[in-house]
Order: sequence, then structure tokens, then C-alpha cells
Amino acid sequence: MTDSPRRRLIAALQQAGGTVGAGAMLTHAPPPLGAPFGHADHVEGEPVQAIPVGTPLPPPEPMTFIDGIQRYAVEGRIGLVPIVRGYVAAAALRRERGELQVVDSATHEFLVVPLRRLTAAQRAVLEGCGLPLFDCTAGERSHPILDVQLAAKIVEHRRERVEIDITRRTVVAAPGTWLVVDGSIAGIDDLSDHGNPRVLGLVKSHETQFLDGGDLEVALTLPAGHRTSVFARTAGERATVHTWYLRLWPWEDHELLHGLVRIERPPSPDSVAEATTVSRWLLSERAPLSAPDGRWDRLVYPIRQVETYLRALAGGWW
Amino acid sequence: MIQTGGNATIGRVVATESLPAGTHQFFFWSAIDTPIGIGAIVRVDDGAARSVYAVVVDGKGYSDLASPLHEVVVAQGDPAGDRAPTRRTEVRLWTAAVLRQDPEEPVQPVPLADVRLATKEDVEVALRMDAYVRGERPTGIPIGVYRAGNLTAPVWMDADFVLGPESAHLNISGVSGLATKTSAVEFLLASIFQRLPAHRGSVAAVCFNVKGPDLCFLDQPGDLTAADRELYATLGIDPRPFDRVRYFAPYRADGINLNTLRSHPDLVADVQPLVWGLREVLGFHEVLLNRDDLDAKADGLLDFLVDRVVEKEFRDEWGATHRVQSFADLDRLFRAVFDGLEQAGRSDVWRTHHIATIRKVRNRLLNISTRCKGLVTDDGSVSDLPFGQFEDRALYVLDVAGMDQVAQDLVFTRVVSTLREHLERRALGVDQVVVFVDELNKYAPGDGQDTYVRKMLLDISERGRYLGLVLFAAQQFRSQVHRRVVGNAGTVVFGRMDMDELATPGYQVLSPATKIKLATLPKGELMVRHPHFTQPIFVRFPRPPVMSGPNGSKRFPPASDVAFEEAVVRQLTGMDRRIAAGRIRDLIAGRRDDDVRRALLATRRAMPDDPFEYFRASLGPAVARERVAVRREGVPLRTVEDPYAP
Repeated sequence: MTDSPRRRLIAALQQAGGTVGAGAMLTHAPPPLGAPFGHADHVEGEPVQAIPVGTPLPPPEPMTFIDGIQRYAVEGRIGLVPIVRGYVAAAALRRERGELQVVDSATHEFLVVPLRRLTAAQRAVLEGCGLPLFDCTAGERSHPILDVQLAAKIVEHRRERVEIDITRRTVVAAPGTWLVVDGSIAGIDDLSDHGNPRVLGLVKSHETQFLDGGDLEVALTLPAGHRTSVFARTAGERATVHTWYLRLWPWEDHELLHGLVRIERPPSPDSVAEATTVSRWLLSERAPLSAPDGRWDRLVYPIRQVETYLRALAGGWW
Repeated sequence: MIQTGGNATIGRVVATESLPAGTHQFFFWSAIDTPIGIGAIVRVDDGAARSVYAVVVDGKGYSDLASPLHEVVVAQGDPAGDRAPTRRTEVRLWTAAVLRQDPEEPVQPVPLADVRLATKEDVEVALRMDAYVRGERPTGIPIGVYRAGNLTAPVWMDADFVLGPESAHLNISGVSGLATKTSAVEFLLASIFQRLPAHRGSVAAVCFNVKGPDLCFLDQPGDLTAADRELYATLGIDPRPFDRVRYFAPYRADGINLNTLRSHPDLVADVQPLVWGLREVLGFHEVLLNRDDLDAKADGLLDFLVDRVVEKEFRDEWGATHRVQSFADLDRLFRAVFDGLEQAGRSDVWRTHHIATIRKVRNRLLNISTRCKGLVTDDGSVSDLPFGQFEDRALYVLDVAGMDQVAQDLVFTRVVSTLREHLERRALGVDQVVVFVDELNKYAPGDGQDTYVRKMLLDISERGRYLGLVLFAAQQFRSQVHRRVVGNAGTVVFGRMDMDELATPGYQVLSPATKIKLATLPKGELMVRHPHFTQPIFVRFPRPPVMSGPNGSKRFPPASDVAFEEAVVRQLTGMDRRIAAGRIRDLIAGRRDDDVRRALLATRRAMPDDPFEYFRASLGPAVARERVAVRREGVPLRTVEDPYAP
């Protein structure tokens, strides 16, 4: 076999005690991260440790899964001002005896425009369309890309709002039911008002790192079937939640974050006591596999089904 | 637009670029738990003024699993491993073939709308039965019921397309023992007899019982379940056996015991002997003589005999007059010819026919009565079907199961030909007659030599509908029957089919799912193709209202053959139980067997009020045997001059 530079590098990595990755080829620099670092406090001992969780455990029934989607389109411009039409939707699917049923859903369609740049007459015309009109902050200077990015932030915010609304409604409607929300639950600041809500946030992206140093290395190099100790995270104005990492699939021969999820839960003594059990439930959620979705290593099937439902609901929205 | 009421939505039409909704086929999805199955009839309404009726011909189920490998990965290669907490989303996708669009024009793709199970009224419209089951002159004949979900709806054939004149004939295929072909025909005949409206005229049926006791107990009630009776009620048919059944069977070789499994003493009196003589047989010599026998010379002599000799006064060259009415008469004529030629010296030609040809034809013809012994007699006695006096709604069963193939061919050919002749003259006694023959592949095979029987079947299948001569035929393998015979059947019925048969080209139009259903059809279910139905339809029919062959054989076990005298006693006492056996024995004591046979045949044929007196009269007075004195003295030999005598 040819002794290529890549093979020589792999050998060197192994000699140096490193771990070989997938070596996927990239062509562009990744976009800059909005909030790369957060703050963490140890909750379940210090330093953070890798804890084997054991075999998968069938999750309790019923269990509800919540996710949302967003879409937007620059429908046109008035002068240089982008007129963005947005669509957000969220749904809750409850699982009983293995079957998923929609128990709640909501959709919203609206316009996002930097209102300050429009005249009163122009604004009145847009209001006449019958769609809610949301303002997006725009600087003094126009920028064709930045203006759209700012509008997209509003769309994203609206999507989070509808997800939070659905989550709150579900918690109220079925207080004892376990709830798995796609993404962080730190934005839902009143979950603790409902007693001890069994709400789990399942974070698949790891843009913000709360741990540092040896704790971070333990977290990001977790073997499959292991979790970290529970720690508390805070980020900006968001609520404090208890969280821990869990490796669903081996990451060796893949990237560092392959199969790695972070679980969030409103702070309570149970969140630590039940961390291993919850982790075992989530290990069992590896089946069915969410392939061919590119995020199959972190995306649990029921959340994917919520997305599928929402996409079908949106249809050919344009 | 035809209003036929509604039903719950059970699916929705889908259309994609790869699975478009067409004008004649479309796709719809349903819930996993659904009453839909292959053969279900559905209705799609566009919400305005358009309705589409269709039958489900295929179904698929699949999930969002992209590759089976994904399941293997998560199960870690162990199929019995932990079950996933979530069941994959699964879809049931059905393919439906359009039966009817309303309005019929313009023909457009099926609307992307809700799908409902057809109601009873929808079924009527979908199968275009509304055109012939209603109105002042309905022509509907029940063939069974369509079932889906909780619905049971009658399905009707159009008599104009079963008995003619629009189209005619019915062909039924299926594997032996499971396809219930005979039962289906028995049920259909009962249906026709009871439900054919008066304005469609009179009808009778002639059935050839070609194997076992299948059709030997059609006048006896069958064992019906409550479910069967419910089906009969739905179809408006009284589940009773046939009122008028006439049985015919040839004799055995002994010429006295009937060659039938309906020989139980309680039933045998209803069986008429089927006996033919020279006149009945000679017209069908092509059936009995093979191609090697029938060269041009032999054919010429036979034509001469038929045209100039049989049933005519014929004077030979040596001064004798012959009236040939039986094989015995014919033999006498041949002997006279041979003697005459011998006396004439070196001549070996008689009326342009060479003596070798004459000897060959004589041998073959006289052999007929040997090969068909019991059916064909030497002496000219005849007992035949009542051609010209057929009764409305009567069933004539010819039990030829015990005969060899040549004799069966003869019976089949002559009976059908005679039916045809009488129908052409409108002189049969009924307006239309159904001829049922099983094992059609034997009589009209798709390959092999052309035979007289096959030519006749082709003729019936192509022209019978104008005459009212209708062929109901059954066979295991449709692909083995002549294409024009099955192709001319307006109504085609399939019971459970063999997969090898379904793989033949004739079934290419059926979907794989339909084929699988056909290969696994339970008893009592059929797939029907009828001119009004644009797609095959699955129906269920009740057990026939008559006793089955096996049950009949158990209930009425066939009697064993008995000696001549006992057979005569049984047959006469069977006709009238008051006759004392001793009187019969005394009457026939010392009489020639042939005389007794003739008298008995005449009595059975006439079915008189007093069988014994009729028999005695037919037998005639006993003639004392004349003792011929034996000449004792020697007769001198003719002296011949022997030049070599010492």
C-alpha cells in the first residue's frame, strides 16, 4: 500500500497518543460563533468525570417530544430595505406504546422588516397584507446581507417563542409526563414554577462550551455509553440549568463531537439523582436510527419525526 | 352525477412525479389499521361533480428506513435484541385501477381527494350494474357478493352477456379440489334458473358428468350453513335443489346395468339409459375414426353409405334389397357385397370402392359398437335425450364418467350438434340452453391435432350466442385450452389458481398482488371478469343448494352390478314398487336377453303408468323354440376330378 502523507500522519497521531478522526475534507472556514464560551459550576463533584451509564433502559411512557422549524424568504425590497416573510412552527408528539401522536402544534407566518427605514405610507401598505409585522434592529447603514441576517434572528426568536409556548402548554396539560425538547431549555425560565417538571433539553450543537481545561477534555472525549458529572450552566440572561454530556455513539474514527449530546434539565436534586437513568433512556433512543439525516448520531428518532411532521405541515411554504 | 351516498374517509389520493394519479390508475394512502384489501372497491369524489370508482389492485407498506443496514447497526446484529422505543413511521400505499368515472367524459386524471370505501349503491354504479339490474326489463343474474369491511353487496352478471346475444359463454379456471369450479357452476345454474326474468325466455342446461359422482345428485338438497343461507337471502335465491333433473347414462358392457354412480336403488329409476344405434352414430364417424382410418377413399365410401344406404331402401347388384337401420343390418349388407364380389369372380371393386377399402370401413364401423359397448347397440334400439321437448328450467345430466374417451367424445359431439340443429330450427323446446363441460382442456386443447370435437367447440364459442347455445366450461389450466374457445367466453371466472399457471402470458394484465390473492383464494371465493366490469372483481358465493358428489356417494352408495335377471327386476320394481319380483322373473324366464333388453329400454323410455304391463306388451308373447331335426343320413361330397388321384 502506498505510504501516503495522510497515512504517515495517522501513524504519527497514534504514536503521539492521539485519536484518529474521519478526516473529512472542508473548503471553507466555519462561520464565526456567536457565544463560544459560557460559565459552568460543578454540581456532581469536582472535577468533571466520565461515568459509565450501563445498558440502555426502555424510557417511561408516555413521553412527549417537542421541536420547531423556521423558514424565511426575502420577498422583495423597498429601496434597499429587505422585506422578509417568515414561517415558524412547533409541535409536540406524544409516544405511547411506541406510536407517536401529535398532541399540540402551532404555526405562525409574519413579516420582518427594519421598520425605521420605511415611511409611514410604506409601513401602512405592508400592514395591509394581513400578516403580523415585526421590527428588526438595523444599523444606520444599509447592508444587503447583514440586514437579512438581522431579520433571520427575529425569525429564529419567533421560532423559539412558539417552541416555548408549546412546551409550557404541554407541561401544564400533562404535568407528570416526561418531555424531551430539541435544543436548550435555558430560555424557558418558568419551568420550575410547575413543580418538578420532567423536562429534558437535548442539545446537539456544541457552539457554547461551558467547561474548560481538563473538564472539557473529559467531556469531549467521553467514550460511548458514558456521561459526564452533572454541572450547572449559565449563559447571559438565560436561566441556570443542570446539564451533562452523554456519548451516544463511539467517536473514534469520526469527529470529536460525533454522537455527543448535552442534556439539560431544570435544576433540582432529581436532576443529579436521575442523570444516569435518563442517560440510559437516551441510549435506547439510538434506535430507530435517524439516518439518512446527516445528524443521525445525535438526532433521536422521535425528534426527527417531529421535524418531519412540521416539514409536512409547512408543505411547499414559500 | 349519480348520487350514491357517502361513507367514512379511509384514504387520500396521492400523486408524485413518479406515482402520478392517472386516468385509469392512481395511488392512495390509508391508515395502518384499515378494512382495505386487494379487491376492495373505493370511491373518490372531487367535491364538485366528479366521482371515480376504482378497485384496489396492489398494496405496499414501507417505513422511512433508508437501508436495512441501519436496523442491523442499532440492533448490533441481533434481531432478538432490545426493541426500539419508537415504531418507525409506516405507510400503507395502495394502487387502485379505475372502474368507472362519472361523468364518463371527459376522461381525466383522478382528483387528489379523499378515498372512501364503496357503499352498496357505489358497487352497483362502479360495476355498471345499474344499467341492467334496474328498469322495466332487468337482466341481472346474481353471481355472488362483494365484501369489504362491513359491506356485503350483491354482484350481478348481465344475462344478455352470459346467455347471449350480446356476448355469451362462461369459462372457469382453477386448481382441482380448491377452486370449487363445479360448485360455482351449480350455484350459477341455480341462479340463472331462478333469476332469469321471464322476458328473457326459457332456458335449460345440459351437463356432462365426466368424472366421479360430481353431478349425480343435483336433485338432492345440500348441506348449507347459516352463512350460506344468509348469502342466498342477500342474492334473492331460494336455496333449494333443482326441481327438474333428468339423468342419462349408458349401459355397462353387459347391456343391462347402468354405467353410473347414481345406481343406488332409491335413485336409479330416475336414470334414463342413453342408447344409440347406427343412425345416431354414423353422422359422427369423424369423432370415432382416426385420421389414418379416414383417408379419401374411406371417406367416400362412408359418404356413400350415409347418403344412399342408411335408412333407405337399397338394392344391391345381386338382387337383394337392404334396409340398413342398425349395425347388424350394415353387417348383413357388407357380407352380401363380399359374397357377391366373390361369386362374380376376379372383380374387387364395388361401385368404385375397392374391396380393401370396404373391408377397412366395415371393420372400423362394426368396431364402434364394441368400443362403445353399452352406448351403441347393434340392433338399433335407441334411448336419447328428448330433443324437441326440452323443458324450461330443466337440467339434463349425461353421466359419461364411466366411458372411455372416444365414447365421451361421441356423446359430447352428438349431443351438442343435435342441440345446435334444434336451436337453429327453434325446435329444441327452450329458447336457450347452457352446456356445461368440465375438463375443457381435453376437448379443446390449445395444441395438438385439430379434432372434430375442438372444431365444434370453436364453432359454438364463436357463433353459439346467436343461437342461444351457451358453453359453460371449466378446466384447471386456462393456458392449455384453445385461445379462441376461452377468448370468446364473455364471462371469465377464476378460483384458486396455480402459480405456474399464473406465470403464463395470459395473466400478465393482473397485478402481482392480484395473482397472489388468486393463488391463495379460499374455497367459495372467485375472481370474475365480465364485460360490464372494467376490472376483475372478487366475489364470494354460497355452497350450491345441491348435494355434493362425495356426500351423495356416502348417502346413496352405488349399487354393485347384478346378474341379468336381478337387474331387470330391480329396474322395473324401481319404476313401480308394487310389482312383485316373482312376476317379472316368471315373465322373462326362457326369453332371449336381447328381447328383454329391448322391452326394458322401451319401458324406461316411455315411463308408463303401469310399467309391468308395458314391459309385457313390449316383450311380446313367448314363442316356443322350434326343434330342428338333425339329418342323420350322410351328404355325398361333390366329386371333383382329381388329375393327381392315384
